[in-house]
Amino acid sequence: MDERAVAGETLRLAGVRKSYGAGTPVETEVLHGIDLVLRRGEFAALIGPSGSGKTTLLNVIGLLDRPSAGTIVVAGQEAGALSEIEATRLRGRAIGFVFQYHHLLPAFTALENVMMPVLAARGRADDQMRATAAALLDRVGLTAWRDHKASDISGGQQQRVAIARSLAMSPALVLADEPSGNLDTGNADAVFDLMRNVNATSGTTFLIVTHDPRLAQRCDRIVTLVDGRIVADEINRDVLRAG
Amino acid sequence: MNPFALFETVVAFRFMREGLTQTLLIVFGVALGAGVIIFMSALLAGLQANIIRRTLNFQAPIEVLAPDQVARPLRGDDSTAVAARVQPRSQQLRSLDQWQKIRVAIERLPEVAAVTPVVTGPGFARRGEATKAVSILGIEPESYYDVIALGEKMVAGRGELGPTDVIVGTELAKDLGVEVNDKISLATATTASSTLIVAGIFDFGNKGVNERNVYVALRTAQSLLDLAGGATSLDVKVRDPFAAESIAAAIRGLGDVRVDSWIVTNAQFFTAMSAQILANTLIRIFVGITVALGIASVLVVSVVQKSKEIGILRAMGTARAQVLRVFLIQGGFMGLTGAILGSLLAWVFLLLWRGVAKNPDGTPLFVVVIEPSLFVIACLGAACVGILAAAVPARRAASLDPAVAIHG
Repeated sequence: MDERAVAGETLRLAGVRKSYGAGTPVETEVLHGIDLVLRRGEFAALIGPSGSGKTTLLNVIGLLDRPSAGTIVVAGQEAGALSEIEATRLRGRAIGFVFQYHHLLPAFTALENVMMPVLAARGRADDQMRATAAALLDRVGLTAWRDHKASDISGGQQQRVAIARSLAMSPALVLADEPSGNLDTGNADAVFDLMRNVNATSGTTFLIVTHDPRLAQRCDRIVTLVDGRIVADEINRDVLRAG
Repeated sequence: MNPFALFETVVAFRFMREGLTQTLLIVFGVALGAGVIIFMSALLAGLQANIIRRTLNFQAPIEVLAPDQVARPLRGDDSTAVAARVQPRSQQLRSLDQWQKIRVAIERLPEVAAVTPVVTGPGFARRGEATKAVSILGIEPESYYDVIALGEKMVAGRGELGPTDVIVGTELAKDLGVEVNDKISLATATTASSTLIVAGIFDFGNKGVNERNVYVALRTAQSLLDLAGGATSLDVKVRDPFAAESIAAAIRGLGDVRVDSWIVTNAQFFTAMSAQILANTLIRIFVGITVALGIASVLVVSVVQKSKEIGILRAMGTARAQVLRVFLIQGGFMGLTGAILGSLLAWVFLLLWRGVAKNPDGTPLFVVVIEPSLFVIACLGAACVGILAAAVPARRAASLDPAVAIHG
């Protein structure tokens, strides 16, 4: 446990900056000193106009990209000093991803897709792994589709498999980048409800990037990013009262 | 532990199954390449062994002779040469000095399989009005047959040699009109002629040898050539004919002798054979490179096609080394499977070759030995080539930035 990590915090960003083309005449800073704390069990929306740096921030939080400056603490571990291999391990263990496009592996079944993060972490498949993946698919309502190829199920179902996959390692934090962006309203609501349900039952922290104000209004907290700066960070009292 | 339950093998085989047409095409490509290499190697090895066998049929791999006699130049008191011109000395027929001792010393060399003394000299074979110039070879049959397979080349009569026996070639027998048990007269320039009985007739498959060589017992030749107790040469058989030159060098160190290896005496043939080996090696290298490029190109395309999937695998915690191994396994599998199929293909073609390539008399044109080790080496080699070929695309896949790969 890092000394700077505070109990109950899943994510802490302090003064995070991200520049591209560093040291060149075209150096561009995309994130200008982001400070953000997400506590365990929070269900937060990250909103902002296109080009505001939402995806860059998500990549930095997800350890897919390194910040140019600042501190990132994920699940109690400071990520800045980690080697590439250690960062990959931490990412696999502590962070789940749900993307706008499901990015399932088409050659594998729904069950195998859900097993994949655990298989990558442990190195070899076993029966317990299968049972856990089957339980996750059951939780997202896809027990009947577990042996279907990822390419043979509908868009909504694929995104639900992607959510189950993001939970396979029981991560502390799930980062969702426009998870309902490719879905119709009905499927978008179903996927959102599913994430809320997981959040409520397992205490997993969610940070959801969305352009949909209707979905953002259903989150506990709304963080607004404009031009690489957090301009608003509000608790959604309506949701909390309803909850 | 089931290797097919490992993350890398699970993903590698599923990726290959997903691109089944691509995988099958490259496996067949590797099979053809490996098949060509195996077939050609077996064929050329057979051809080479056949040529060597035919050459060494009637020639010992190493011949140990008395050193050349040299003229000594006249010298003055101060050791300066005074003769304006030194004429080369004519070489007289003479025995190898201390040949029995040298024979024992040569037999002790581990690379040597057999040693036999020979007395060789020119002579004439006569029967009635017919006279033919011949080369008289006095031999000890029991040791000579270990060096030269004369016994196997007999087409009539027997291979044993008594004091009054002679073995002649088919051409000489035809020229003199003799058969087994007929008498011929052998004469040399130094002694009176001797009448001998034809004990057998040989055929080495070489007209010159069948016409020229006559074999008599060692003592008979010593008497005919006036070399009592002598031997003009020691014929040496070695375990590895290609090592003859280095063994010859070792024999030179045993005493004052002249040593000729078949590699030197057949320099042109050996050069041709070396060229053939080089050409075969080059063909194998180029086929190997073609196979490697085929595997590499398929995997490069696969990496491009699956970059998003690789990106998501990396995002969910897959290490770079795991991604690297996924593609190395694919390369190794394609190489190995292709080589196994290629081995089967080559085996079938070699069997067909055996059935088709025959002399007019039905005997094989040359013996092609199907060595299991050749198949094993080809399969392991192809697997290594596959892994090496996969190295570049595998590194490319492993170095993909997951953020870039996912978001395109």
